[in-house]
Amino acid sequence: MNYYIDPLTLVTFFPVIGIVVLLFLRADQKVHARWVALITSLITFGISLAILAQFNPANPDLQMVVNIPWIQVAGWNISYFMGVDGLSILLILLTTLLTSLSILSTWTAVQDRVKEFMIFFLFLEMGMLGVFLAQDLFLFYVFWEFTLVPMYMLIGIWGGKRRIYAAIKFFLYTMAGSILMLLAILWLGIYQDTFNVPELAAMGGIPPNLQFWLFLAFGAAFAIKVPMWPLHSWLPDAHVEAPTAGSVILAGVLLKMGTYGFLRFNLQLFPIASVKLAPWVAALAVIGILYGAAVSYAQKDVKKLVAYSSVSHLGFVMLGLFALNSQGVQGGILQMINHGISTGALFLIVGMLYERRHTRDMDAFGGLWKVMPIYGALTLIVVLSSMGLPGLNGFVGEFAILLGSWGAGLPGGVLGSPWFTALAALGIILAAVYLLYMFQKLFLGPVTKEENRVLSDINWREILTLAPLIILIFWIGLYPNPFLNLMSASVDQLLNAMQTAAVAGIP
Amino acid sequence: MSLNDLLVNLNLIMPITILTAWACVLLLVDLFIPKERKGITALLAALGLLVALALVISRAGVATSAFNGMIMIDGFATFMSVIFLFSGLAGIAVAYDYLIRSGIERGEYYVLLLFSIVGMMLMAAAADLIMVFLALELLSIPLYVLAGIAVPRPDSEEAALKYFLLGAFASGFFLYGTALVYGATGSTALTEIVSATTSGGVNLSFLVIGAGLILVGLGFKVAVVPFHMWTPDVYQGAPSSVTAFMAVGAKAAGFAALLRIFVLAFPPLAMDLTPVLWALAAFTMIIGNVIAIAQRNIKRMLAYSSIAHAGYIMMALVPYGQGNVAADTVASALFYLLAYMLTSFAAWAVVIALEHNMGEGRDTDGLSLEDYSGLGQKQPALAAAMTVAMLSFIGIPPTLGFVGKFYLLRTVIEGGFPGLALIGLLTSLVSAYYYLRVVVYMYMRDGEPVVRREPWLYFTALATAVGVVVLSIFSEPLFNWASQAVLKLI
Amino acid sequence: MVPIQYFIGLSAILFTIGILGVLIRRNAIIIFMSVELMLNSANLAFITFARMYQSLDGQVFVFFVMAVAAAEVAVGLALIVAIFRNKQSIDVDQINSLHG
Repeated sequence: MNYYIDPLTLVTFFPVIGIVVLLFLRADQKVHARWVALITSLITFGISLAILAQFNPANPDLQMVVNIPWIQVAGWNISYFMGVDGLSILLILLTTLLTSLSILSTWTAVQDRVKEFMIFFLFLEMGMLGVFLAQDLFLFYVFWEFTLVPMYMLIGIWGGKRRIYAAIKFFLYTMAGSILMLLAILWLGIYQDTFNVPELAAMGGIPPNLQFWLFLAFGAAFAIKVPMWPLHSWLPDAHVEAPTAGSVILAGVLLKMGTYGFLRFNLQLFPIASVKLAPWVAALAVIGILYGAAVSYAQKDVKKLVAYSSVSHLGFVMLGLFALNSQGVQGGILQMINHGISTGALFLIVGMLYERRHTRDMDAFGGLWKVMPIYGALTLIVVLSSMGLPGLNGFVGEFAILLGSWGAGLPGGVLGSPWFTALAALGIILAAVYLLYMFQKLFLGPVTKEENRVLSDINWREILTLAPLIILIFWIGLYPNPFLNLMSASVDQLLNAMQTAAVAGIP
Repeated sequence: MSLNDLLVNLNLIMPITILTAWACVLLLVDLFIPKERKGITALLAALGLLVALALVISRAGVATSAFNGMIMIDGFATFMSVIFLFSGLAGIAVAYDYLIRSGIERGEYYVLLLFSIVGMMLMAAAADLIMVFLALELLSIPLYVLAGIAVPRPDSEEAALKYFLLGAFASGFFLYGTALVYGATGSTALTEIVSATTSGGVNLSFLVIGAGLILVGLGFKVAVVPFHMWTPDVYQGAPSSVTAFMAVGAKAAGFAALLRIFVLAFPPLAMDLTPVLWALAAFTMIIGNVIAIAQRNIKRMLAYSSIAHAGYIMMALVPYGQGNVAADTVASALFYLLAYMLTSFAAWAVVIALEHNMGEGRDTDGLSLEDYSGLGQKQPALAAAMTVAMLSFIGIPPTLGFVGKFYLLRTVIEGGFPGLALIGLLTSLVSAYYYLRVVVYMYMRDGEPVVRREPWLYFTALATAVGVVVLSIFSEPLFNWASQAVLKLI
Repeated sequence: MVPIQYFIGLSAILFTIGILGVLIRRNAIIIFMSVELMLNSANLAFITFARMYQSLDGQVFVFFVMAVAAAEVAVGLALIVAIFRNKQSIDVDQINSLHG
C-alpha cells in the first residue's frame, strides 16, 4: 500500500483542507477566515506550480495520470481518472492564481459572513480544478454541476440588489445546458461502454449523424457557459450582481470551462461533426464578437460594459478553436488565459472603484487620473491589454486567432474565408472604441464631482492583487513562447487525430 | 401445515416474526409505562427495529421462499427491508420530540409504526397477490390511524379521513384487479401467473385489465398522477413526523410491490403496459413538479415533490419487460428509493425542527417558506442539511439524488426511451426552481427563524445529509448491493 | 345453471357502481359503503372464478378480504365519528380546511 498522493488529486482537493479549518472558526473570526482562505489558496497555487515544474511540454499525452476504478459494477465503467496535458495546464495555473488574487481582493470588500464566503470560494476552486483535470465524463459532469452551487451562493448572498434573480437565472440557464450534455454522456456511457475520454476519442466509430446530435448536446452546455451569442443573456445579470471576487472568477475561469469543454470534448470526441459545424460555430462566434462590442459601447455601468466585453472576447476564443488549425487553437487557448488575466484585472479594478464610491455609473466619475494616478496607470495597462495593443498579452492571442481563422482549416471544413477574419478584426477596433471611451469617461478630463476629489489611491494590498496580472500582461505580450510551448505538442496531436478521423469519416 | 412446518416457516421470516411479536408485546408493555415517560416506548420500539435490522442483514444473501411460496426472502426483500427499517428508525427519531411538543405523545404511535413496518416488509417479500393485499392493508391501516393521531385537530382528522377513503378506494381497485388476474390464470401466485400466461390459453383481456387495476391500486399508494390528489392534503394535514415516515415508507412499499409484481408476473404483458407506464411516469413528473412551484407551504411543496419523485422512479419501470434491462429496472429503482429515503428524512427532520405551534406570541406555524428566512445564519448546520437535501432532490452532484437519477436515466435510455429521459431531465430543471427557492430563503433573506433545538432531530438531519453526500462519492457498494437485489423466480 | 359470465358481469356492475359512488356521493359514510361494495364485488368475482376452476383458493381469499374489510371498518367508522364530533357533518365537501 503506498500513501503517496498524486499531485492532481492533491491540487484539486487541497482547498477542502482549508474548508475544514474554516468550519472550526467562529462566525466573528473574520480575519482568521480570510487568512486561512488566502493561505489555502496560495498553497494550492504552489502545488499547481509544482505540477508545472513536473510537466513535460514535449509530451502531448495526459501526464501525471491517476486512474482508479471508481464504480465498476452493475454495468458501470466509471473511473476516478484525472490527467493534465497541454490543453489544460495553463487553465489550472490560471484558476489557482485567480482564486488567490480574488480572495486577496475581498479583504475589505466582504465584511458580511466572511467564513461562509471563503468556504464557498474554496469549494468553487475545487470544482473548477476538477473540471479541468477530469478525464472521465462522469467525474467531469460531477465537477461541472458542482461548480454551480458555490457560484450560485456567492452571487445570491453577497451580490447586489437583484442578486437573487441573477443567481437563479445563472443556475437555471447553466443547468438547462447541462441536462442535454448529461443525456449525451449517458448515451456514450451506454453505447460506447465507457466514460473514459481518451478511450472514447481513440475508439471513434460514432456515425456522423449521431456525432452531430452529440456535438449539439455537449455544445449546448458549453455554449451557454462560454457564453455564445444568442445564449449569453444570463451573463450580464450574473456579472453585474456578483461580488467582485465572484465576477473575477466567473469571467476569469468559469467561462473558460465552456471553451475548454469545446476543446476537450467536442473536438476530440466528435471530430467529424466539429469539422462540419465549424463554420456555423465560427459564424456565431463572430456575431458574438460584434454584438458584444456594440452592446458594451452602449453601457453606462462599467461592470456591465466589462461583462459584455467578455461576450466579445470569448467570441475570439471560439473563432480560434474552430479555425481547427495550429495557430487558431493555440491562439484560442492563449486567449482564454489572456481574457482571464485582463478581464479578471478589469473586474478587480472596477471592484476597487465601487468599494470607494459605491457606484459604477460612468457619469459619476471623470478626471480620476488626477486623484488616483497609480490606479489610473494600472487601469490603462489593463485596458490596453484588453484592447489587444501590440506588446501586451491580448495582441498575441488575437493575432494568432486572426491568422488561424484566415488560414485553411482541416479538409472538409469550409473555414478559411477571409470574411470571418475581417469581421473579427472589426471587433478589435470596436474593442478599442468602447474601452478607450470608458477610460476617457472615468479618468480623463476635469474632476467633475466633488466627492471624487477625496478618493484615496489604491493601497499596497490592492497593488499586490493587480501586480501578478500586470506582470503576466507584459510577459505574455513580450515573450509568449514559454506559454505556447506548453500547449503546442498537445494541440498538434489533437489536430492530427481530428484530421485522421475527419479524413476517414468524410467521404 | 403441521406445527413444525409453521415454526420452520416462521423462522424463515424471522425478522418479520420478531417485529410482529415485539409490536404485540409493546402494545401491552406500553400500558405500564407512565404517560409522561413514553420515551421508553420509543426506545423499545427502536430496539425492536434494530434487532430486526441486524437479523435482516445477517441473513442477507439467503434466497428462499416460505409459506408455500407466498413469501419470497431474497436480495430484493432484504434491500427493501433495510430501507423500511431505517425509515422506521428515522421516523421514531424525528417523532419523539415532535409528539411531546405537539401534545400528542401516545405509546400507540410507536406500536402502530412497527405494525406498519411489518406490513411494508411483507409487501416487499410477498410473492402472491393475496399476500400483497394483506400486506398492503397491514401497512395502510396503521398509517390511517397515525395520520389522525392528532385528533381532535381538524387538519389531522381531515388528513386521516382523506387518506383512509382514498386508500380503501385504492384497495378496492387492487383487489378487483387481483380477482381478474385470478380469473384469467387460475392463480394469484406470481410464479404461476407468469407460467400460465406464457403457456397460453389465458383470457388476455381479463389479465390486462386486472394488471391495469392493480397498477391503479398501487398507483394510489405511491401517488402517481392521476392518482395523486390525496397526497398534498394528507401530507399537509397529518402530523409531520407521520408524513415523513409515510412519504418514504408507504411509497417505497408501493414500489416494492409494483416492481415485484410487474417484473415477475407481467413481463408478457409489457406490450400493453409499457405505454401506460410511460404516460404515468411522464405526467407524474410534469404535473408534480409544475404544481410544486406554486406552493408556499413547505409540507405541501414536499408533497408535490414526493409525487414528482414517484414519477422518476416510475421511469425505471417503463422498460421492465425487456429481459436485458429488467435487472437495471429493479436495481435503479431500489437505488433511487434509498437515495430518496435519505434525502427525504434530511428534509423532513429540518421541517420538523422548524415547525411550531401557533400562539405563545408567534403568529406562524413555521411551515411557510418565509419561516426559513435567515436559517443559514442562525442554524448553519440545519440549513446545510436542508441545502444538501434540496440539491439531492434536484439531482445536483455530489449527492445520492444525482447518482440515483443518473442510474434511472441510464435504465430508461437503455430501454430505448430517450424522450422520457429528456422529460425527466427537463422536469428536474423545473424542480430546481422551487427547491432553490428554499435555499434562497435560508441563505439570501434575513430573518429570525424559530427552531427547536433537539438532539435527535439534529442527528437525523445531519446524519442523513452526510450520508447523502458521502454515499454518493463511495457509491460502489450501494450499486453492487442494489444490482444483486434482482428479482428472480425461485 | 347460470353461466359464469353472468356472475362476472354482475360483479363488474357492482364494482362500477362502487367507483361511481365514491366519485359522486359526498357523504363519507356512503363513500365508505361504496368502497365496501367494490371489495364485495371482488369477492363475488373470486368466488365465481373459484367455482370456474373448481379450486378452493378463491373462496379462501374471500375470507381474508372479509377480515381485512372488517378491520378497515373499525378504523374508518372511528375516524368518521371523530370528525362528526368536531364538525357535526360528514360531508366531504365541507371537510376542506387544507389547501395550498
